[in-house]
Amino acid sequence: MHRKVRRKSSASGAVSFNMTPMIDCVFQLIIFFVLTSQFIQLQIEQVTLPLSFAAKPKDVSEYLNVVINLVDEDDPKCMVLGQQVDYRVIEGDNELSRLLKDRKQDAGEGKPLNVILRADALIPYEAVASVMLAAGRAEIEGWWITTEIKDMDEVLKD
Amino acid sequence: MPKVRMPKQPAKIQLPMTPMIDIIFQLLIFFLLMPNQQAGEGYLTTNLPRTSGPVAGKEQKDVKRVKIELQVPENDDKGVVIVLNESQTFGRNFEGLLAALQGLQERGLPPDHPVLISPWMSCRHKWVVRAFDMAVAARFTNIHFAVPYI
Repeated sequence: MHRKVRRKSSASGAVSFNMTPMIDCVFQLIIFFVLTSQFIQLQIEQVTLPLSFAAKPKDVSEYLNVVINLVDEDDPKCMVLGQQVDYRVIEGDNELSRLLKDRKQDAGEGKPLNVILRADALIPYEAVASVMLAAGRAEIEGWWITTEIKDMDEVLKD
Repeated sequence: MPKVRMPKQPAKIQLPMTPMIDIIFQLLIFFLLMPNQQAGEGYLTTNLPRTSGPVAGKEQKDVKRVKIELQVPENDDKGVVIVLNESQTFGRNFEGLLAALQGLQERGLPPDHPVLISPWMSCRHKWVVRAFDMAVAARFTNIHFAVPYI
């Protein structure tokens, strides 16, 4: 007698993808890339910002920005895009003004270039003035000073 | 002989751990990174000093303006002494400066009257920002910073 061999089928049920971890991972990747791209764009250094009650929060992503960090109150250093840049005042262009001119040229006519200064609260004004001169030499129009927003009472107590 | 039906074993309850761990990681990343992004930062927008054009590098003595000089005391290199219009001295009293600036406006000075903040080169950045704050609080809109001549 011919015996019927029953074959076990491996594809008996419908194949279903588990979507939950996939969506979770996609969300994580989106959050990661959104945040890292903003950090890369800003290139901020750790500084103790001066307090201000008149400063306003702004959406920096609306502009084409160059963030200039002034760190180390004892020996001020100018950091742009994670690199130390020479900003000392000389006759003619210094490294910072050349960098700003290049960025302005790359930006083209359509979108104005904005300089965001992030200077430590205890940086001497000489360093800030030198950066101002370099930005002025590169004919930068937008000049923003980054501060930490506090109430007037808190600012006056500092 | 009657068939005895064995009681069914209760089904094992399994919690799906994967989505839970994923969500916890997402929340962790969010709360670690967001404080750095916000941090209560704001911006003061101002005019850059002219380093090109006909007035570049020239002292503008003929322009009538409110001048806030920020000096550094000899015995305290992190301190400040405020001098308004080369006549009134306020020490470190920024509230006094604010009252004086408001007084100038009450006496008819328009809000767009130029205000020059002229810090000594060794003056700390936070005092410059504080002087700027006071000028803004007194509703002045045309605020400039002095820079050295080259």
